[in-house]
Amino acid sequence: MLNVTNVSKTFFPGTVNERKALIDVNLRLSPGDFVTVIGSNGAGKSTVLNTVAGRISQDEGVVALDGRDVSKLKEHQRAAQVGRVFQDPMAGTSPNLTIEENLSLADKRGRRRGLGLGVNRAKRERFAEALKVLELGLEDRLKTKVGLLSGGQRQALSLLMATFSQPKILLLDEHTAALDPQRAELVTRLTRKVVEEQGLTTLMVTHNMVQALEVGNRLIMMHEGRIILDVSEEEKSKLTPEDLLAEFGKIKGAALDDKTLLQ
Amino acid sequence: MITALELGLIYAIVALGVYLTFRILNFPDLTVDGSFTSGAATAAILIVNGVDPFLASGAAFVVGTLAGLVTGLLHTKGNINGLLAGILTMIGLYSINLRIMGGANIPLLGEDTTISLLRQFAGSGWSSVLVLVAVALVFKIIIDWFLHTDAGLALQATGDNEQMIRSFAVSTDRMKITGLMLSNGLVGLAGAVVAQHQGFADIGMGIGLILVGLASVIVGQAIFGTRVVIQATMAVVLGAVIYRLAIQLALNAGLNPNDMKLMSAILVIAALLLPQWDGFRKFAARRRRGRSALHAAAEATLTEDANINGKRVS
Repeated sequence: MLNVTNVSKTFFPGTVNERKALIDVNLRLSPGDFVTVIGSNGAGKSTVLNTVAGRISQDEGVVALDGRDVSKLKEHQRAAQVGRVFQDPMAGTSPNLTIEENLSLADKRGRRRGLGLGVNRAKRERFAEALKVLELGLEDRLKTKVGLLSGGQRQALSLLMATFSQPKILLLDEHTAALDPQRAELVTRLTRKVVEEQGLTTLMVTHNMVQALEVGNRLIMMHEGRIILDVSEEEKSKLTPEDLLAEFGKIKGAALDDKTLLQ
Repeated sequence: MITALELGLIYAIVALGVYLTFRILNFPDLTVDGSFTSGAATAAILIVNGVDPFLASGAAFVVGTLAGLVTGLLHTKGNINGLLAGILTMIGLYSINLRIMGGANIPLLGEDTTISLLRQFAGSGWSSVLVLVAVALVFKIIIDWFLHTDAGLALQATGDNEQMIRSFAVSTDRMKITGLMLSNGLVGLAGAVVAQHQGFADIGMGIGLILVGLASVIVGQAIFGTRVVIQATMAVVLGAVIYRLAIQLALNAGLNPNDMKLMSAILVIAALLLPQWDGFRKFAARRRRGRSALHAAAEATLTEDANINGKRVS
């Protein structure tokens, strides 16, 4: 479903700030794969996601979605097939529009946006039905502006919106990191549920080792722009967070940030 | 008084245009100073040459959209800062407007104009004001409708959260260009009608127009609120009328017409600074207490708590 082939990216080339974010990265996701990505800060996790999404253009290599080379496509063109949830709960929704209007925007992903009404009775019923999955009671508050919701509610809504029109691939960029533990738990649970129900091919970056092991059917570890570990479902089920920490320890000079250690 | 009301209702179309860029797209567009005159110039030269005044006003709308297109392309494809892109188009239009008019001024006395037809049909009393009220409301309703279509929602989201709407496959460049074209089209049309109302088009008639638009938007929304789109656009229309009446009152009180631009600037500055002042904020909060916005916020918190306490969050 997703083929990342020999992708490299260097930021600020030729300056003192030059940083090799990705070095010859290869990654293949089969349909329905749910891959969690871990690694220390600056390992290139987010860069991989941003390269797939088209927010960053790679220096070398090819990104292909469903057999089609999308390397040359702009971010909004790729977005027709890519669903995304960002780390910042404020980033994935439009605060001054209502819940139903936000869902209407998500509903039209990849289709022509013309002069038909964004929300009508039929759509409203469908949106309310979809919101019930979140179990947050948002289906009764369709006309509430999203800016009035809490971070957890907004992130749950972002997840629903990102998956609303069956994207070919779902990219989750530490989407539970900015939430309190209770809310993070809720959003993680919803993520598993939605991905499972729709059989979505998913790439999820996380700082949380436990989450990385519990969720998904495959795990990759990145360090300094390379994928240094790729664990299949079977092996993954036997791993513990301690094993992962030991794996980190093997990398000479790998710096673990406090956040990683605390989790 | 009636003239001030009439002008206010015509300028309401300018205010709706400025609302689209300034509030919806979050883009302070200075093109309007030029496109207003372009609309007036286009309509005037066509009317003088015997074209139907309604057709001429339509042409003014089209010329306005072209001005918006230029600013939009400069900003999105040329990566030029939005303010600068607007200024560049505005300055360039000054020469173009002179070319269109072939001089600095075109008198429309004795020509058939939309306003002369209005006078024939409704006289120059309250009935013509009513006709203009209907016209302003039609434009308000069209904007309301547009902003609730799929395209309109994408336009709103572009001004609200660019990153988000791009991740839903919308070209924010195209949306900004669309918004700028629509806005300047409305402004060009209003310029055409103002020229017909005052009986001439003049190269200087657009100078400071952005302040008129901003003052209308800010004053109207400060008084009448912005909770939902239909309320916000109504506030904008009323703001334009109030602004025009305030100018009329100031003139009646003996202020020098030459000082009006300074007055407009001071009014906008006051409207922008007052909300930042603590005393005003407390006053506004007290006034708003019990109103729907806070209700909704309170409701949000309550539901939130209920969800945490209940078993909805496992």
